[in-house]
Amino acid sequence: MIRNYFITALRNIRLNFGYSALNIFGLALGITTCIIIFLITKYELSYDSFYKKSDRIYRVGLSGVTGYNGHVSVAVAPALRNDFPELEQVSQVWQEFGLVKIGANHFDEELYVYVDKNFTTIFDYNWIAGNAQTALVEPNSVVLTKSIAQKYFGDKDPMGQFINLDKKYNLKVTGVIRDLQSNTHLAFNFLVSFETIKPELKDAMNEFYNIGGGSAYVVIPENCSVKKIESRLPAFVSKNWGKDIAKEAFLVLQPLKDIHFDQRYIDNTVSQTTSKEIYWALEFVALFIVLMVCINFINLSTAQAAKRAKEIGIRKVLGSNRKQLIIQFMGETTLIVLFALSIALVFSYLMIPNVATWLDIGIDISQLKGPVILVWVTTINVIIILLAGLYPSFVLSSFNPITSLKSKGVVSFKGIKLRTSLVFVQFVISQILVIATLIVAYQMDFLQNQDLGFNKEQIISFDVPDISKRKLLENLLYEDPNIEQISFSSGAPSYNSHFTPFHSIELGKPNDEVSEIRSVDEQYIKLFGLKLLAGTEITKRNEKDTMRYLVVNEELVHELGIQNPQQAIGKEVTIYWNMKAIITGVVADFQSESKYKKRRPCILLNYFPNRFFKASIRVHPNQINKTIEHTKKIWSKLFTDNTFKYEFIDEHIISLYKQEEKEYTAFKFFSAIAIIIGCLGLYGLVAFSATQRTKEIGIRKTIGASAFDIAKLLSSNFLILTIIASFTAFPLAWYFMDIWLQHFAYHITISWQIFLIAALSSIFISLITISHHAIKAALINPIKSLKTE
Amino acid sequence: MIELQRICKWVNVGGARVFLLKDINLLINKGEFVSIMGPSGSGKSTLLNVIGMLDEFDEGSYQFDNLEIKNIKEKQRAFLYKQNIGFVFQAYHLIDELTVYENIETPLIYQNVKMVERKAMVADILDRFQIVGKKDLFPAQLSGGQQQLVGIARAIITKPKVLLADEPTGNLNSKQGEEIMDLFKKLNQEDGVTIIQVTHSEKNAEYGSRIINLLDARIDYK
Repeated sequence: MIRNYFITALRNIRLNFGYSALNIFGLALGITTCIIIFLITKYELSYDSFYKKSDRIYRVGLSGVTGYNGHVSVAVAPALRNDFPELEQVSQVWQEFGLVKIGANHFDEELYVYVDKNFTTIFDYNWIAGNAQTALVEPNSVVLTKSIAQKYFGDKDPMGQFINLDKKYNLKVTGVIRDLQSNTHLAFNFLVSFETIKPELKDAMNEFYNIGGGSAYVVIPENCSVKKIESRLPAFVSKNWGKDIAKEAFLVLQPLKDIHFDQRYIDNTVSQTTSKEIYWALEFVALFIVLMVCINFINLSTAQAAKRAKEIGIRKVLGSNRKQLIIQFMGETTLIVLFALSIALVFSYLMIPNVATWLDIGIDISQLKGPVILVWVTTINVIIILLAGLYPSFVLSSFNPITSLKSKGVVSFKGIKLRTSLVFVQFVISQILVIATLIVAYQMDFLQNQDLGFNKEQIISFDVPDISKRKLLENLLYEDPNIEQISFSSGAPSYNSHFTPFHSIELGKPNDEVSEIRSVDEQYIKLFGLKLLAGTEITKRNEKDTMRYLVVNEELVHELGIQNPQQAIGKEVTIYWNMKAIITGVVADFQSESKYKKRRPCILLNYFPNRFFKASIRVHPNQINKTIEHTKKIWSKLFTDNTFKYEFIDEHIISLYKQEEKEYTAFKFFSAIAIIIGCLGLYGLVAFSATQRTKEIGIRKTIGASAFDIAKLLSSNFLILTIIASFTAFPLAWYFMDIWLQHFAYHITISWQIFLIAALSSIFISLITISHHAIKAALINPIKSLKTE
Repeated sequence: MIELQRICKWVNVGGARVFLLKDINLLINKGEFVSIMGPSGSGKSTLLNVIGMLDEFDEGSYQFDNLEIKNIKEKQRAFLYKQNIGFVFQAYHLIDELTVYENIETPLIYQNVKMVERKAMVADILDRFQIVGKKDLFPAQLSGGQQQLVGIARAIITKPKVLLADEPTGNLNSKQGEEIMDLFKKLNQEDGVTIIQVTHSEKNAEYGSRIINLLDARIDYK
């Protein structure tokens, strides 16, 4: 019997090849999407969760006047160890950039950290050589990751070899670990023992605010309350660093697994943080897509029911009962789903590497083998089989044998309402996705093109490794006539900056507020085109001057309770708790921080030339490459040990939106798939309705309908459906996308044009999908469709 | 009005040419009532479809109102068809989803007749055929005879010059059949509609003014 069912099923697939292919292709696409979404969400949501102690590891963060910071002074870890003996482990970390020399080879390394010996016992890495307990005890030891070991030493055994770091340290390789999973907030290429840098950090080891690249991690013992420990931290700060600091700075324990998602730290970490909701949204998209493919399946199989009626009639006459028929049809569904699954696996295999590049995400094919994914794929398939198979099985098996035999294969099957409403749901879903994609696109465009309040074109920015050579560098650079302007500063707008508290007793604002502070030279305002509203530009600093002069932005002036910028000139403010300064100029607000922040007070100060780490130059547009070459030559001559790296400001700004760019790509990708699946469903439904209405079309043609009349007849229902679906989708899409937009300090308002574009494009897509069958039906010879014999 | 000269139509089956119509010469004048007879497969329906411009022919000439059908464009032919020809089928071919009223109204929609005018015309014909009471019913709720009545009403509402009927009584009992044939006769004599019917029944053929016998794709002159 099973063999009989199997053969019937296979022949049916072959007989209705078009429908089956549509069905299988749609299902395969749906399953592929689910697999990929599963891998993506698993990757993102499992950030830092693969260590044995992940649940108990916390990073010590700092919350104070300058917002949240993932870094704390290296003074914190030893004090914690001392005052909280109940902590299972405490480790400290110092991040640096540097230059590695091995023999004659130079490597610029951005990803390495100094860690103490506890670090490798908190985070359990896979050791290929060496030992987690001892490898980083001694000063001048280094543990390499496998790929970096290969880069430095090729196939040679790296153990016991030496690398030179920053020309200061000769580090001996004491261990090799396997490459890290990329979904960790703390990525590095090698670890250097903290003992190596300890003498250098002697001052920082005591000061609370000497933060730099320091951070601390602790492991809370099991059955110990984090809250309890956290509640004792203010007293701890007060005891070690004094009451004044304890009043405004609080230490917090941030769970390791939350680091990737904690948006409060967004401005203070190197690693990208993201919002969890995005991934929940993706899971929803997967769910939608499963729903859509099931709807397609139900539609296509009930549409085919008419053709199967005769077979069902005969089977019933021959004595098959309803249960057996249901089993038969469920079996057929299973067979089709399994077909689709195997195709989906091939699709996934082909698509995963591409998706990984598009989304810049660490998923790969080998993850398909994991047990979790197997369970997920099986679950999805069972759900699809049940959702898609049950309804058609019950409908088909319920046919009355007499009527289905008499009907010569044309049963008027009253399922069109159900099918139409299912397709309606599909339209709504894909419409929501289209609108979402459009809104993301508009927001991206807005972010990249909004008026930042400063000039970002034709400016390149690069490091000045040795600040003492600044003047020399400037003079040499000006020899190139294509360099229009040079400015030295602690960073161009949109680059990381420093913060300071400020208050003004003179203006009756004695409480500290936070301001961004940038050390800049006299050229800065001109180079970046900041608009001076009042007062004078930054003047050349007089070494003997004891008074500091500030240029501030409008926002800071408002914060001080002054509306007219002119009135702020000459007023005294206090920065860095006790440093008095006079406002000499006010500039219009400019976007100097990330897109998540509203513009806030900013101070430009020409007082700390030792903070001029960055040079920015404006280049003549026609000679950009030549100028860069020239600059590189001069720079390399001055700073022989470093490699020249530069960045265009506008490109840097684009790179700030990497996360959004990723989300945009994901949206585009998955809505395209949803649209394809929706179109497949629509295509099948139109095909069905065209066959169902063959007779009617024939009649209409014999009584004078033109081809255009027929095409109109077939399309109009679906078009009306599309339009109603659009109107249903609008409020839903508006609601969800408004939530997303709220993440940005400056965002677009959702306008009716977006909805109009979405509606028009979906009408257009529907029309194209429908047109093939509508035209085919319209051109058919009525004599053929009306043959009664 | 209708003039066929040496009309041939064939299909190729495995290299051999099988004729559906061969050398058909036929002249039908305005106001005639012609019956086409012949055994199954002799080409009756094909001939009717060719006359009705629903089917193509391969050779010969067909002039409708002195217009050569072969030479005119598809669009013109569709127009000619819409203006002049009504079809009645053995299986009625009403649209199941539409009511009696809507079925009869449909051809007028395709001729861009205005709504008010349509209403009047449909009411008129419903009245004439005495089916006013049935106007809101669906085809499935009618008897075969009533359905065919609706079919004819739909065919003549556009006032065609020629009414083509393919075994119009084939699915009806003899009493219903008689009624339909009486209606045809009335239409022919009172309204002057040219009628060409295909029939198996000698008795029905007698209603017409002339009988054409087909045998193996040719006209059988006996």
